[in-house]
Amino acid sequence: MEPLVRRLGRSTAASSILLAVVFALSLAYTSTGGGARQYLVAEMLTNFILALGMQVFIGNTGVLSFGHMAFAQIASYATALVVIPVAAKATSLPDIPFGLGEVEVGPVTATLVALAVTIAIGAAFGVAVCRASGLAPTMITLAALFVVDQVVKNWEELTRGAGGLTGVPILGGNGVLWLGAFIALVVAHQFQESRIGRFAAATRDDELAAPALGISLFTSRYAAWMVSIGLIALGGALRAQSLGTVNPKQFTLDAGILVLAMVVVGGMRTVSGTVLGTIVITVGNEVFRQLGDPQRLGIERFPDLFLGGVMLAVMLARPGGILGDLDVAAVLRRRMRWRADSSPDRAGSTTADEAVLSADGVIVRFGGFTALDGARIAVRPGEVVGLIGPNGAGKTTLFNVITGLVEETDGRVQLGDVDLSDASPVAVARAGLGRTFQNLRLFANLSVRDNVAVTAMVAARHRPQRPTPDPDELLEAVGLADRADRRADALDYGSQRRLELARAAALAPLYLLLDEPTSGMSDAESLEMVTAVRSIAQRVGAGVLVIDHDLGFITTISDHIVVLNEGRVLAEGTPDAVRADPAVAAAYLGSRG
Amino acid sequence: MTKLVQTLVDGLGVGSTYALLALGISLIFGVMHLVNFAHGELITVGAYVSYFFFLNGGSWWWMPVAIIASAALASVATEAVAFRWVRQASPFTMLLTSFAIERLSHALWQIFVSPKQRAFPKPAWVFDQFGLGGVSIEVMDVVTIGVTAATLAVTALVFSRTLFGISVRGAAEDFDAARLMGIRANRVISGAFAFAGLLAGVAACLILMRNPSAEPAMGADWLLKAVVAAVIGGLGSFTGAVVGGLALGLLETLTRAYLPDIATGWDRFSTAIVYIAIAAFFIIRPQGAFKVASAERV
Repeated sequence: MEPLVRRLGRSTAASSILLAVVFALSLAYTSTGGGARQYLVAEMLTNFILALGMQVFIGNTGVLSFGHMAFAQIASYATALVVIPVAAKATSLPDIPFGLGEVEVGPVTATLVALAVTIAIGAAFGVAVCRASGLAPTMITLAALFVVDQVVKNWEELTRGAGGLTGVPILGGNGVLWLGAFIALVVAHQFQESRIGRFAAATRDDELAAPALGISLFTSRYAAWMVSIGLIALGGALRAQSLGTVNPKQFTLDAGILVLAMVVVGGMRTVSGTVLGTIVITVGNEVFRQLGDPQRLGIERFPDLFLGGVMLAVMLARPGGILGDLDVAAVLRRRMRWRADSSPDRAGSTTADEAVLSADGVIVRFGGFTALDGARIAVRPGEVVGLIGPNGAGKTTLFNVITGLVEETDGRVQLGDVDLSDASPVAVARAGLGRTFQNLRLFANLSVRDNVAVTAMVAARHRPQRPTPDPDELLEAVGLADRADRRADALDYGSQRRLELARAAALAPLYLLLDEPTSGMSDAESLEMVTAVRSIAQRVGAGVLVIDHDLGFITTISDHIVVLNEGRVLAEGTPDAVRADPAVAAAYLGSRG
Repeated sequence: MTKLVQTLVDGLGVGSTYALLALGISLIFGVMHLVNFAHGELITVGAYVSYFFFLNGGSWWWMPVAIIASAALASVATEAVAFRWVRQASPFTMLLTSFAIERLSHALWQIFVSPKQRAFPKPAWVFDQFGLGGVSIEVMDVVTIGVTAATLAVTALVFSRTLFGISVRGAAEDFDAARLMGIRANRVISGAFAFAGLLAGVAACLILMRNPSAEPAMGADWLLKAVVAAVIGGLGSFTGAVVGGLALGLLETLTRAYLPDIATGWDRFSTAIVYIAIAAFFIIRPQGAFKVASAERV
C-alpha cells in the first residue's frame, strides 16, 4: 500500500485545488454585492461540511441514510447548550437538567464537546446500522431521525421545544467555516484514499463479491460511518455558531434530503462531485427561495421545483451525478503513479504449502430439493481439478458451500488442518480461497487496476504469510495492462472474465475457485483462458478448482476431473479416464451428442 | 375495557389505511425493486381532484370513483414518464427518482393551485356514532375497516385467480424467468402501478372522508408510515404489507393511549418510543417479518 504521507499529501493537494476554486467563485460573488452575500457563502461552507460528511458514508458504501441530520442536530444542540452564556440560560432555560445551567465554555471547547457527544451516540447507533443489510439500515436511520426530532421537540426543559435555542455566540467572519470546510475535504479525500475506504467502495459495488474476497462489510461500513458522523458533527457544531440559533426546523427530513441532493447531483462517488453538487444545490435553492419570496411569487416551497427538477434530470440522464467519476483526486493519483519496489519479502518464494482443500460428505437441501447428496472433492497444492456435470448437478452449490455462501446441511470443508465448514465468506477468503462467479461480479465502478489492487490490499493485510501479488503484474499476465485505468464495466465480456480471474489471484490464495471462466466465450478465447489460468495460478502458487461446461477447456487444463451428477460424485480420474467412462458418457457426454 | 376496544378500533382504522398504501409500495417493489417515495402523492392527486369537482358541484356519491381513477392514472403516468427509464438502474437511483417526483409534485400543486390548504365538504355521516355494547363507535371506523377488508379480499382474489395477478407474482419472484415465459415486462409493470394506484385511491378516499382538504405536501406523512409498514412486513410480501400496516396503526394508537398509564410524564415521548420500537425491530429482523425469497443467483 502507498505510504500514508504520500496519500495525505495528495488529499491535501486535491482539497486545496477544490477549495481554491470555491474561494475564487465566492470572492467573485461577494465582491460584486453587499455584505449580505457573506451569509450565502457561510451557508455554502456549512453545507460543504455536512454534504461531505454524508458523502463519506453514502458515497463510499452505497447505503442510503436519512439519519445523518439527526447527528447534526445532536451536535448543534450540544454546542448551543454549553456555549450559551449562563445568564441567558437562567432566563430561557430555567429548568435545564444535568447542571448545564452552570456551564459556559468557549467556541473551541464547545465544538469539541459536541464532537465527543455526537460521536459517542453515533458509535453505538452505527453498530445497528452497519450490521443490517438491504433496506434495514435506511429504515433504522429514518427511525433515528424521528426519534431525535421527537425528543428535541418534547424535552422542553433542555431544548425549549419547537422554538429552539437562541443566543448562541456567533463566530466572527467566515474564517472558521473555511477552515472547517478544508478539514472536511481533507478527511473525505483521505478516507477515500485509505485502505478501508477502498474496501467500502468495493462493498458498495458488490455486496456479495467483496466478502468473498475477504472484505468485511461491517468493518468497512462502520469505519465510513464513524468518519462520516465526525464530519456531520463538525458541520452541526459550526452551523449552530454561524447562525446563532438552533431549532428543529433545521434538521427535518426535508433538510436532510436537500443535503442528500448535494451529494448525489454532483456525483456521490467522488469528493469533487459532492463539492460541485453542494454549489449547484445551495445556489439554486437560494435563487428559487428568493423567487418564491412573499414579495415575488409568494410560494414558500418554490425551491422544491428546482430540487425535484434537478434530481429527476440527473437521475434520468446521468445517474452517477453530473461529474460521474471525474475527480480531482483521481487525476492526481494517475499523475503521481506509485509502484511498490520489489522488496525482498515480496520476492520471497512461494512456500510449498501442503494444505489440501477438501470437502467431504456435503449435503445441501433447499426445502425439499436435495442439491448436494454427499458430494466430495479434494484438490492438492498446485493441482488443477476440473469439476463437471450436467446442469443442476450441484457444481456451483458445492462452490458456494466451500466458500461459505451456502450453509451445508451436513458435511465438512477443510483446508489442511483448518475446518472451514462453518466459516463466513470473509474468513474463507482470508484463509486462502479466492473465487470468481458464474455471473460476473466485478466492482463495476472501480478501475480495472483497483479491482485487483483492492484485493491485493486484503492479501497484504490478512495473508502476510504469502507474498502479496503485484496488481500490475497480474493485469499484465491476463493481458489487461493497457486498459488498467478504465472502469471495470467498460471492458468487453471476455476481458471482464479475465479481470475477475486476476482479481481472485490478487488475494494470494492457496486455491483459486473458478466458476465457469469460459462461459460465453469463443473457442479461441477459451484457449487463451487456459494460458491465462495456468500462468496466473503458477504466478501466485495456487491450486485450481474449476467448473466449466467447455469440455475442450476442462480436459486441456485439468490434471484431474471430478464428475458430479445429481449431487453425487459419478466418476473421477484423469481427463482420459473420465472421457472413457461409460457412466459419464451416459449421464453427461451422451446428452450432448 | 371500553377504552381498549375503542383504541383497537382506532388502531385498526389507521392501520388499514397504512396497509392499503403499504400494499401498493410492496407490489411495486416486487416487480421492479423500487421503493416508491412518490406513492403518497397519489393521495394528493385524489385530494385536488375532489377539490376541483366540489368547486363544480361534486357529490360524495360518486367522488370515490373519481379519486380512485385519478390515483390509478397518476400512478401509471409516473411509471411511463420516469420510472420506466431507470428500470435498469440501481435501486438507489430509482429511489432518488421517486424522491424527485415527490418534490416536483409538492412544488407543482403550490404553483398551479396554492400553497395553502383547500377544504371541501365532508360526507354528512362521517362523525356519526352508534353504541354497541356500551362502546360508542364511529360510522367512519366501520366504513374504513369494512372497505379495507373488501379491498384486500378483492386484491387476494386478483393475485391468486387472474392472469394479471399471477404474472405480477411471477415477475416479483424472478423477473427474467417471467419474461422468458412470455410475460411482457412493460405491461406487468404498468399493471402493477395501476393496481397500486387503485389501492392508494381507496386509501385516499378513506383519508379524505375524515379530513376533506387538499394540501401540497399532505402525502408525505402517510407515505413515510406506509414505507415503514411495508418494510416491517418485508418488502415484496403482500401479507407482510397488510400485517405491517395494521401493526403500525395499533402500535401508534396503543402507545398514545396507554403510555401515560405506564409511565407518567413519558406520554410526550410516545411518538419517539414508537420509532425506537421500529428501529429495534429492524435491528432484530432486518429482512422484515415475512422474508421474501429473492431470485438472485450466485
